[in-house]
Amino acid sequence: MAIRVNPKLIDDLERFGAEDVKFCYHCGDCSTVCFHADEVYRFPRKSMRYLQMGLGRKIETTLEPWLCYYCGQCSEQCPREADPGETMMSLRRWLISRYDITGIARLFFKSLTTEILAVIGVALLTGAFLLFYGLSQGNFSIYDGEGAFLPSHFIHSFDLLVGACLAVFLLINAVRMWFFVMVRGTSFPVPWWLYPKKLYLMVWHFFSQKRYSECERKRNTKVFMPWIVHLGLMLGYVIMLVLVMGFVEKLQYGPRIIWPVHIFGYLATIGLTIGTIYFIRNRLIRKNYVQYKKSHSTDWVFVILLFVIVLTGISQHIFHRTGLNEFANVTYIIHLMAVVPWLLRMPFSKWSHLVYRPLAMYFAEIRREALKRQGAVLPAYSY
Amino acid sequence: MRNGVFFCQVEDGKNLNIDAIAKYAANLPGVEIVQNLGVKPHLKASLLADLILTNSLTRIVIAGDMPGYYKPVFTKAMALARCNTDEVRLASFKEHGATGDIALDRAKATVACANMGVPFALVAIPTGNPVNHSTLVIGGGIAGIQASLEIANAGKQVYLVEQTGTIGGHMAMFDKTFPTLDCAACILTPKMVSIGQHDMIRLLTYSNVTEVSGNPGSYRVRIHQRPRRIDVDSCVACSICSDVCPVKVDSEFDSKITKRKAVYIPFPQAVPNAYLIDEASCTYILSNGIKCGVCAKKCPKECINLTEAESFLDLEVGNIIIATGYELLDVQKIEQYGYGKYPNVLTSIEFERLTNASGCTGGRIVTKTKLFNRKTQLEEWVFVPEGVPPRNVAILHCVGSRNNKYNSYCSRVCCMYSLKFAHLIKEKIPDVRCYEFYIDMRAFGKGYEEFADRIRNEGTFVVRGHSASVEMVNEQMTVKGEDIIHDRMVQFKVDMVILAVGLIPSTGTEEISKMLGITRDSDGWFSELDYNGNPTDTEKGGIYVAGMCQGPKDIPDTVAQASAVAAGVLRSISSGRGIGHLSSVSLSEIEKRAKTIHTV
Repeated sequence: MAIRVNPKLIDDLERFGAEDVKFCYHCGDCSTVCFHADEVYRFPRKSMRYLQMGLGRKIETTLEPWLCYYCGQCSEQCPREADPGETMMSLRRWLISRYDITGIARLFFKSLTTEILAVIGVALLTGAFLLFYGLSQGNFSIYDGEGAFLPSHFIHSFDLLVGACLAVFLLINAVRMWFFVMVRGTSFPVPWWLYPKKLYLMVWHFFSQKRYSECERKRNTKVFMPWIVHLGLMLGYVIMLVLVMGFVEKLQYGPRIIWPVHIFGYLATIGLTIGTIYFIRNRLIRKNYVQYKKSHSTDWVFVILLFVIVLTGISQHIFHRTGLNEFANVTYIIHLMAVVPWLLRMPFSKWSHLVYRPLAMYFAEIRREALKRQGAVLPAYSY
Repeated sequence: MRNGVFFCQVEDGKNLNIDAIAKYAANLPGVEIVQNLGVKPHLKASLLADLILTNSLTRIVIAGDMPGYYKPVFTKAMALARCNTDEVRLASFKEHGATGDIALDRAKATVACANMGVPFALVAIPTGNPVNHSTLVIGGGIAGIQASLEIANAGKQVYLVEQTGTIGGHMAMFDKTFPTLDCAACILTPKMVSIGQHDMIRLLTYSNVTEVSGNPGSYRVRIHQRPRRIDVDSCVACSICSDVCPVKVDSEFDSKITKRKAVYIPFPQAVPNAYLIDEASCTYILSNGIKCGVCAKKCPKECINLTEAESFLDLEVGNIIIATGYELLDVQKIEQYGYGKYPNVLTSIEFERLTNASGCTGGRIVTKTKLFNRKTQLEEWVFVPEGVPPRNVAILHCVGSRNNKYNSYCSRVCCMYSLKFAHLIKEKIPDVRCYEFYIDMRAFGKGYEEFADRIRNEGTFVVRGHSASVEMVNEQMTVKGEDIIHDRMVQFKVDMVILAVGLIPSTGTEEISKMLGITRDSDGWFSELDYNGNPTDTEKGGIYVAGMCQGPKDIPDTVAQASAVAAGVLRSISSGRGIGHLSSVSLSEIEKRAKTIHTV
């Protein structure tokens, strides 16, 4: 494969957050202190090297950025203050924009205005459509059942439509990722049966986020706080997605509480609320944590939208149970106005790491196994 | 002439009152307009050309810390205005030393010279003061020794002031020198002996310079002589006093890996070869003469005077040489290397003492042994000659050097002495494995690259990749790193880790810089007058810097610089023109002289 050098790659990456890559003098301290760097996947130094050399096409095919969970140890150690941790974070953003076939992700990451305008535009469109639909057939003072303003079967099909859009985009991007990594970036043969053999890893990493918990080792604490909160946030999100896609009729049914369904909703809400507040607080106050020192504008859009969704979701539920149907309808429309852009934005934002990370772990293990079969893995040289 | 004076600062010139200089410039002959363009202005040649035309200026003076930065745009403006482009004159504050107390006057003087169109250096020539023929050397390391010998051998009086009990400095601690692997003591001790015996050198050990006044050519210096409490002339270094002394403290000369007594001689070849009493640990002194005093009773020559008082010595000297050297960065604050936590993590100078044949193990390289100290009832890790030699040794380069958190500069000698360590270890211990972790191999001198190649060929594992961690797992140290050239991770079990610690200016450097009025650079080293053209002189006439105190350098460079300093001192003595200093030239004098000089 011909190697193409892009001398402006570092400058380009600056827009994604990494500003200090040029300072790196390759001492390898960062790879040494990283808990995740091993004989096959050595980072962050190697990624820094590729960046300095402008090998964008090469980085596209690597998985290292996804194997990093940004504990920040490398940035704390770096003698040149080149911030390798933030570089890996920016590379993840950059990779998302590379996997994305539409080019929207790149636009969002590079321009906050575009992103905000897009979010507001989609929100307004959603709101207008829902209002139009509700006014044309329903009664504003009825929340559910006969003659409801937004009947739940309609919302269900609406959700499925949005979900389908989301799934299509994510699927295309995931296939592109597979193509970049496993086809273009893997010059050695990969036996087909490794794919089903290692499939369990994807599920395992998706639900446990074990590698994230390993990052916490550096703090010498018994409770791995950011990991637990992150896991809760993720599980809450997934449960909520399942509920909304499959059980929205039951969820909206009221005012009686259907415990078998609603209990999951409550649990998910707790996870989302705590997660959102925790991460907003970290980004606002805990500036002394390396990983929260630099927040990209897209991170803020993400947490703020999530906060709005959680807040309106809870309040529409309460309004509905207390019989304030008009308020419930209003908050529900606001809720959906935030949910739709948030969901549609997902394949083009950092939140898509929900899919890419487990995929990366899965691919990484397949590649490692295939490499081992080639006899190409050198064990850590030691005595 | 119709002149325009423009002030442009590149750095934020808070220490200079630009408005005052502008007011002064407005009253200079021929000045039409004065403008303060501020810090880092973005200038447009076309606008400047308009300004030149409307005021019909014929000469431009750009004044500022780095006015050359703006010369191109003004030259272009002059060309656009169809004026003589040669008439863009620079008044550079930084170049002509407008710092400190004299900053304002110096800046005004540079503006005045530029306004007259004459070079500052042609106008400001200090008048030569008569020179006292004796010289003061501060610091008795290899730099101070070399400079003293050069001057004394030319027949001029030298006062060599050293704050410890012996001269020799850091070089006396070393075992071998790189890249020739000569014995350091074999080079140094003959020089030390000649210092001690030289007629023209007065050696003042255990002394500090406390006060300096006067002008270049005639400095009055006050030297504080701490009481040695043993008469240097009658002591024969028989060691009886030391044998009977009950107090044991860490030996500074052995970089605290061994103990010495309260009455001690730093090392057997010390010059002057006499014992001294450490007032910080001596029981007799600490108890105000109530306890102990046994050394004075046992001394066969009766040369111990435990009640000797401190004394002061006033000297008149013409030149002063600063050769105060360096010390190691406190490596304990770089936690990841485990220095102070794990017993067998050593600094470079500790290893240097360990491997030295006059060291505590007689030159055997061993790991520390755990011994029970009966006095303190604690277990201690100490070096003993019968200790176990290490099987694997890791040497880590750039510890605290080239690191933005500690020293951002390269300490320059670490690569080479680390390679030397690898050689010494392989020479002394058969079948030892030696690992060097480096970032960049800075083998910059004559024969250095060949030396590095030689060490590689000797079988040392030279890993291009810095290690950031030393870990202890089950009483076994491991050093982890990334081998960048072979593209693999490495992890070695080692018994000893040697840290090539970065160098910093020695403790008293700041005090001396204040006392003598010499500026230091941002890293704390003394500033030379001009890095390329005049690396030994300082901005103050008659004061010179030699050796490490000016910046990290190895022994050959230190010796060369010390000899160069001696040449400067001897030049000032024998030229007959005396030495002066720019600060003695007043502003009015410069103004007057600027008018008399005509340039084409």
